[in-house]
Amino acid sequence: MSEVGTTHGSVTPNPGSSGVRLNRRRRFSLLEDVFDEERYFLLLSVFIGIFSGLAVVCFRLAIDWTHLALLGPLPQAHTWRLFAIPSLAGLAVALLAIQVFPGIGGSGVNQTKAALYIFNGYIPFRTAIGKFVCAALAIGGGHSLGPEDPSLQIGAGLASALGRQLQLSREKLRLMAPVGAAAGLAAAFNAPVSAVLFVIEEVIGRWSAGILGSVVLSAVSSVVIVRGFLGSEPLFRIPVTTFKRPAELIAYAALGIVGGVASVLFAKAIGLLRPRLKGLPHWTQYFQSAVAGLLIGLIAFLGAPQVMGAGYDFMDQAMRGQYAWKLLAVLAALKIITTTLSFASGTPGGMFAPTLFIGAMLGGAVGGVEHLWFPHLTGSNGTYALVGMGVLFAGFLRVPMTSVFMVLEVSGNYEIIVPVIVANTFAYVVSRSLQPIPIFDLLTRQDGLVLPSLEEEREETVLRIEDAMLPPPPIILSAGDYIDAATRRAQASSQVIFFVRMEPSGWSTISRDLLERLLSEGKGEHTIGSLISAQTLPCLYPDLPLEAALRYVNQVPLVPVVNRADSRRLEGVISREAVFARYQSRETH
Amino acid sequence: MSWTLPKLVPRSAPAVLLVLTLATVVAFAAVSHLVNRYNANQQARGRKLYVQGLADVSAGKLDDAVEEFRAALTCDPSNPQYQLSLGRALRDTGRLDQAESYVLALWQRAPQDGTINLALGRVAARRGAVDDSIRYYHNAMYGVWSADADANRRKARVELIEFLVQKGAAAQAQSELVALAASLPPDPQLHLQAAQFFAQAQDYRDALSEYEQLLRLNRGDPVALAGAGEAAYRAGHCRTSQRYLQEAVKVNPQDSHSRQLLEFATLVLHTDPFVRRISDAERVRRLTAAFLHAGDRLKSCARAKGVNLENASANSGTSLSASTALPSNALARLAQRWLAMKPDLRRLRAPGEDDLPDAIMDLVFQIEQQTANDCGEPQGADQALLLLSRNREGADQ
Repeated sequence: MSEVGTTHGSVTPNPGSSGVRLNRRRRFSLLEDVFDEERYFLLLSVFIGIFSGLAVVCFRLAIDWTHLALLGPLPQAHTWRLFAIPSLAGLAVALLAIQVFPGIGGSGVNQTKAALYIFNGYIPFRTAIGKFVCAALAIGGGHSLGPEDPSLQIGAGLASALGRQLQLSREKLRLMAPVGAAAGLAAAFNAPVSAVLFVIEEVIGRWSAGILGSVVLSAVSSVVIVRGFLGSEPLFRIPVTTFKRPAELIAYAALGIVGGVASVLFAKAIGLLRPRLKGLPHWTQYFQSAVAGLLIGLIAFLGAPQVMGAGYDFMDQAMRGQYAWKLLAVLAALKIITTTLSFASGTPGGMFAPTLFIGAMLGGAVGGVEHLWFPHLTGSNGTYALVGMGVLFAGFLRVPMTSVFMVLEVSGNYEIIVPVIVANTFAYVVSRSLQPIPIFDLLTRQDGLVLPSLEEEREETVLRIEDAMLPPPPIILSAGDYIDAATRRAQASSQVIFFVRMEPSGWSTISRDLLERLLSEGKGEHTIGSLISAQTLPCLYPDLPLEAALRYVNQVPLVPVVNRADSRRLEGVISREAVFARYQSRETH
Repeated sequence: MSWTLPKLVPRSAPAVLLVLTLATVVAFAAVSHLVNRYNANQQARGRKLYVQGLADVSAGKLDDAVEEFRAALTCDPSNPQYQLSLGRALRDTGRLDQAESYVLALWQRAPQDGTINLALGRVAARRGAVDDSIRYYHNAMYGVWSADADANRRKARVELIEFLVQKGAAAQAQSELVALAASLPPDPQLHLQAAQFFAQAQDYRDALSEYEQLLRLNRGDPVALAGAGEAAYRAGHCRTSQRYLQEAVKVNPQDSHSRQLLEFATLVLHTDPFVRRISDAERVRRLTAAFLHAGDRLKSCARAKGVNLENASANSGTSLSASTALPSNALARLAQRWLAMKPDLRRLRAPGEDDLPDAIMDLVFQIEQQTANDCGEPQGADQALLLLSRNREGADQ
């Protein structure tokens, strides 16, 4: 009652109180004006990063806890739990995936990409929850999968749910998924740069400056959260040998070639087995994961428990030289088999960690063999294992830029950048030559989807103006030319339309008919510039994409193509017919 | 089953941000609680495994200890104590690469830490890498120690000296020893250790000095007396050596080594013609005896080597120095000089022959050194003469 005053028995609003309310509303409205959509989205990206970071912290704890509870800190061979636990976990995960959380199988990268390009950024919240629970159970239970891709999808799922809650525009809602994905992946790897690059290379599939700011903000904020809770140590802290002799690059190149071949084998194995298992009767899907778990458990039971789970502890040990090169090679081969089994059976979990594992083991093995033949190589086995990780990343996942930064970020060591770049390049080239379709594209095609990829874009030939432009016409007039002289030149040629170089800049055109008419009207003593319209033509440059010409060729019959350094120099002309003819010739090729 | 989230968040931007901030605070608190509990559990598990690992180390079960420390490290990956212990256990099982990898990772985080540098020094020493060992042990000596810094630094230096002595790097060991001796507290045990190191590094003067320090702290210590006697003897201070050795034998009559050294030091003192406070007659007697001993030694060595001194002397070049010539040439030339000098012995008592004793003893020393090179170490009076020659050489240098 304090907000209203009574005067002579009538109730009137308290003027002071109403003023306060109005002021508040005005201030609130001013505050809202501060948040235009772009700024608002950037702020939301920070919150997405924070929530994704928190979710990934919980996810990692869940995996660790499951692993400790089910298998112990460092599982030893020849214990019954090794084959019982993965198969039981597989059975439970399959049940959950079919009955409660449909659509959570696989790594999550393609699902996030599909959300961006097909479902307007929509990822069901149920998927994020299901991915969390099932991936934690599967990875903790010993399936040969990693937590990074699920983290990516969990982040994307959270972001998508938040976007829907806030009823963002369709355009922004679509962008929420990659923003959340970057946050999830950055938190899982403790590597913001690699996460941003991966999301650009693989999820968005093209360079887009519009979303870069949000992706970076979310990735950084999620990493800050994870470091706050789990420490800021890089994933692997091993002393690496400083790269000193350029001749040693040959050894790293050899590693790149071997890694490239291994990547192809790994991708082909998944590409072959996955559709076959999917093609089996529906009821078998309840048991596929369990059977995969049983086989993995058997391998572990027989003496290779290292292949279970994400395997980060064993990667660390391999980098510190615990295993001989023969064992490392065997572990790499076994990990390819076990990951293929886990992934192809539809068990939810990621391929990042297994890829790193295979790369580390292969790198250590190749390094070991090279040291046998060339004992003077200065690179330690740990260094080769670290480079091997990047090699598999580049060769298998086909994300060359991410692969380089990932190695640097997970090791916190920038001294090995040259060997990493050399080895990754070789792996990428070998893998691309032997397996033209990257693994994620292969998986989307198997699922009946067609999504854009950066590799396709890189390979696509971009047509440019210079590919379609015609040579400049022989007669070019100037604004200062007199009508009578210009008409005489025009009449002596077969040209119908003439380009006029205007003063001080710009181009225009004049037809022969117009020139003759102006002459007949007695304007022969006038300059062209004084008579034709001051409006100049749009100009194009030879390096622009051909699509740029489409905007103008319908408005003017001939568009001048000028030099970027000297706009008064005509490099050529472009017409609608020339543009279409060029596109047509590419189609027929 | 519906999985659609209820619309909880308002649409107005400031309100949304407010709600999100509140949600963040709540989520933070919840996750913090979870992480703290998890970490506490993991740390407890890690500690248990670590303690088990330490017990395994004590029991000599190093392989088991490695596994326990590894498991402890998976529970608490950033724990430097676990990493260091794992590194040490790996080193002790001979897996030096792995050990170095763990300890180096720690070193990269704390390059100034004395304990870590000491561990790295030990790994390098196990590897036999002298430069790396010196570097890490020095880092440990000048590094930061959480407790008992002086003792730990001294321990690091002592370990380095032991390693250098073992590797035969006497010069480097000596410089470390000098630094060690300069900083030793008045602890008999430490002085004894330093003296022994000096002796191992063949720095007998400093060894003698350390033994004397030890004797000041612990008078009558038989080990110090014997050590001082031997160090003095090796340093060429035969009179000092005799004094200490006499006391050592008196304190510990069972010390046969000291007794033997005492006999020899006495023989050297009785052989040395340059010793002070002897009569001229005695000096001449000693010079003559030394000269004759050297001649006999030369002849017996030539016989043993199958060198005919008369024939060989005819072929010997006069420009060759005794030490660099072929044995037959060198022995023959020395024999020629010995024969040429023999008549001069009669002039020893004559006035104005002040340089003759030196010339005689120079030849004697050259003969003893050459025959020691060609025929091995001598015994008795020749051994005494050889020692005198070495002492003279040392003094000249």
